[in-house]
Amino acid sequence: MKKMKQTTLRRFISLGLLLVLIILFAILGGGLFFNADNFIEIVRDASVVGIVGVGVTMAIITAGIDLSTGSVMALVAMTMANIYAYTLWPIPVMIILGILVGIAAGLCNGYIIGYLHVPEFIGTLATMGIFRSLTYIIAITDDNGVIQSQPMTVYGFASLGYAAGYFYLVTIAMIVFIIVGQIVLKFTRFGTNVYAVGANKKAARLSGIKVEKTQLIVYGISGFCCAVGGIFTAARLQSATAAIGDGFEFDPIAAAVVGGVALSGGSGDVVGTLIGALFMATLKNGVLKLNMNTAYQYVIKGVIIILVVMFDSAYKAHMDRLAKERGAKEGAEE
Amino acid sequence: MSGMNEIILEAKGIYKSFSGVPVLQDVHFDVRKGEVHALMGENGAGKSTLIKIITGVYSKDAGTIEWEGKPVEINNYQDCQKLGVACIYQELSVIPPLTVAQNVFLGREPRTFGLIDYAKMNRMTQELIDRYQFPLHPATLVENLGMGQRQLIEILKGLSQNSKLLIMDEPTASLSGKEAETLFHIIETLRSEGVSVIYISHRLEEVYRLSDRLTILRDGQNAAVLNREEIVPKKVIATMIGKIVDESAGSKKMLHSDDTAPVRLEVKDLTDPADRYRHISFQVHRGEILGLGGLIGAGRTEVVRAIYGVDKAKSGEVILDGQKMNPSPKTSIAAGIGFVPEDRRSQGFIPLLSTTRNIALTNYDIIRKKGAAVSYADELAMSKKAIKDIDIRPADPDKEVGVMSGGNQQKVVLGKWLMRDLKLLIVDEPTAGIDVGAKNEIYEILENLAKQGVAIILVSSDLQELIRVSHRILVMRKGDVVKEFKNEIVTQSRVLSAGQGILDEEEAQA
Repeated sequence: MKKMKQTTLRRFISLGLLLVLIILFAILGGGLFFNADNFIEIVRDASVVGIVGVGVTMAIITAGIDLSTGSVMALVAMTMANIYAYTLWPIPVMIILGILVGIAAGLCNGYIIGYLHVPEFIGTLATMGIFRSLTYIIAITDDNGVIQSQPMTVYGFASLGYAAGYFYLVTIAMIVFIIVGQIVLKFTRFGTNVYAVGANKKAARLSGIKVEKTQLIVYGISGFCCAVGGIFTAARLQSATAAIGDGFEFDPIAAAVVGGVALSGGSGDVVGTLIGALFMATLKNGVLKLNMNTAYQYVIKGVIIILVVMFDSAYKAHMDRLAKERGAKEGAEE
Repeated sequence: MSGMNEIILEAKGIYKSFSGVPVLQDVHFDVRKGEVHALMGENGAGKSTLIKIITGVYSKDAGTIEWEGKPVEINNYQDCQKLGVACIYQELSVIPPLTVAQNVFLGREPRTFGLIDYAKMNRMTQELIDRYQFPLHPATLVENLGMGQRQLIEILKGLSQNSKLLIMDEPTASLSGKEAETLFHIIETLRSEGVSVIYISHRLEEVYRLSDRLTILRDGQNAAVLNREEIVPKKVIATMIGKIVDESAGSKKMLHSDDTAPVRLEVKDLTDPADRYRHISFQVHRGEILGLGGLIGAGRTEVVRAIYGVDKAKSGEVILDGQKMNPSPKTSIAAGIGFVPEDRRSQGFIPLLSTTRNIALTNYDIIRKKGAAVSYADELAMSKKAIKDIDIRPADPDKEVGVMSGGNQQKVVLGKWLMRDLKLLIVDEPTAGIDVGAKNEIYEILENLAKQGVAIILVSSDLQELIRVSHRILVMRKGDVVKEFKNEIVTQSRVLSAGQGILDEEEAQA
């Protein structure tokens, strides 16, 4: 009984935040903001954050973080650009190789964190730089060595940026990722292990869970999600540049936090992160549509994240106190 | 009763020493099927070491362990689990955001088509719950449960793996009375189901109530194995302390305290919000060392923490030199109260900082400032004075405290308070894990402080230390002060008995 109450309350809060934002922009912007096309646009914007957010959410649930997401996206896109520019390999092969590079980059993070025992924040901060550097090293240059954007306009690839019916393909992919991610977290042993590792590493180990392996897989998944995010981003731009995903890492983390994934680990899910991603996309869209100075959106994002984290820690303290009092009360009564 | 005598676990001739110091010597310990076997002994008697050898945390120097009659090697906790031994850790290893059932079957979840079958898992958990009558529900999130119920989940987890032997180390330490009662009930059910239990406890009444047999360790050796009918409080206490008790130094003393000295600290009706202590009232005079005795978990640490102001009391007053205090560490330090916490390493000092910095840390209000910066010369002078006054070794002010010996670390912790104009010093288990030589030096420091008029509250589980150093002793039990020893002859067994709730007959009449 209690279980439903607590997690649904947190879900209502993130949904409520999203709703308040939509209502606010609808009042301020009217039809300019509040129309079906615009909502499809918002969801499209949220899609890459949602896809990458699946991996980032898992990392945060293990009490970790992944700061390298934007760089992995760029590395994947640039790998594909090289294949596109210099080989005649078919598009599916190019995409698969891109995905493999993403998974490899993620496993790299997982190995550094799980087996070399580098703290998650530092480990992925370092690889964020490393992957970005690699991207610049393999970037396509002109004859004078100046880095160039590589157009990737062939229909077989660019069509990934198109819509099928009402929804963009990227949105459909995002929905698949969220559903699969939610099932993995909630209905597989691996998913339970992810929560256990994040909530109490020592206890997880005592229960026979291989903590390092769990971390390795989680960051591998995150790398896979980044690869898919990178592919859709390049397809939408119909080109790849070394600067893809620069500063992107902030968005999935912010989405997870707004969606109720506790940075201390052990709680949250990808559906929450989806709500958070929609919130972030709505914010960005509204600020644009209302002709506000876009610089403000980072202030608003930052303030909202601080408020949400403040709420979460206060809420956690409150729940801990309740649990303690409940224990004491059971002792006193009866 | 026929099957009852079958021995499930037997440890024979166990020896263990740490860096040359023998901790266990020729210890024998056996557990029968379906019995609750209690393990008692004073702090440092070797109980934990024995258990850690049985569960594979430590390796033994010599001896054998037999499981169901066959010799076994237990090298880690997994070996232990495979045999069917489950250890219920003091520091709980449940995962709060998961449900009861998820915790019980963690890593062994029943699956259909690769996905966890929650219905089946909850049903299996419910079956276990019904069988042993646990007050739990499979789908409750653990974070919504109290400590007692969380402990039950650990037991349930052990049972779900068909454990034949459960090891419980001080299981009631963090439980309320009602929770403990539930636990006892469950232990009795387990026994009737043929599960064996090793029950480690300081609390005689629990042992008396639950155990079929009792093994007492003293100084790393077997002192006695008592059958149920032989478990008589006085006998147990005498065995724990040893027969030679009355001759050994520091086990008996005539207490003297001077009531005419002005009252330094008065505590009135102090009560804890979580009910770990209630209506605590006492006075400490100038120059008096007041010992606080009692079992671990009796509420002593909580009381002194509330006096110092680290934790808040729900009600009650703390009056220092006639001045009513509003306890908080900051006001306490300013008013002249020093506090040497129980857990030296995590609360007493900062390991990576030097002696100088550690000593200066609480004293920046009295160290001269040079503009906005602190005068390093003054810091150093203070540190050198402390090193000289109480003989901190190595006598290097720049030495990191973390690499020093336990005794010297504690001297640094004491040293930072000695640099101040102290009125009251609270020391909580000041010599835990410290060698004998350094212990004596610390006692001397305390005695010298008392001579200078400082009032001292000493919390100690080391009976010898309590009796040797204190001028007056209060014994706490389950959050109440149950006994005061004052101007009379006090022995270890009287203090221990009082802590166990057994008050002297002559006292009861008075």
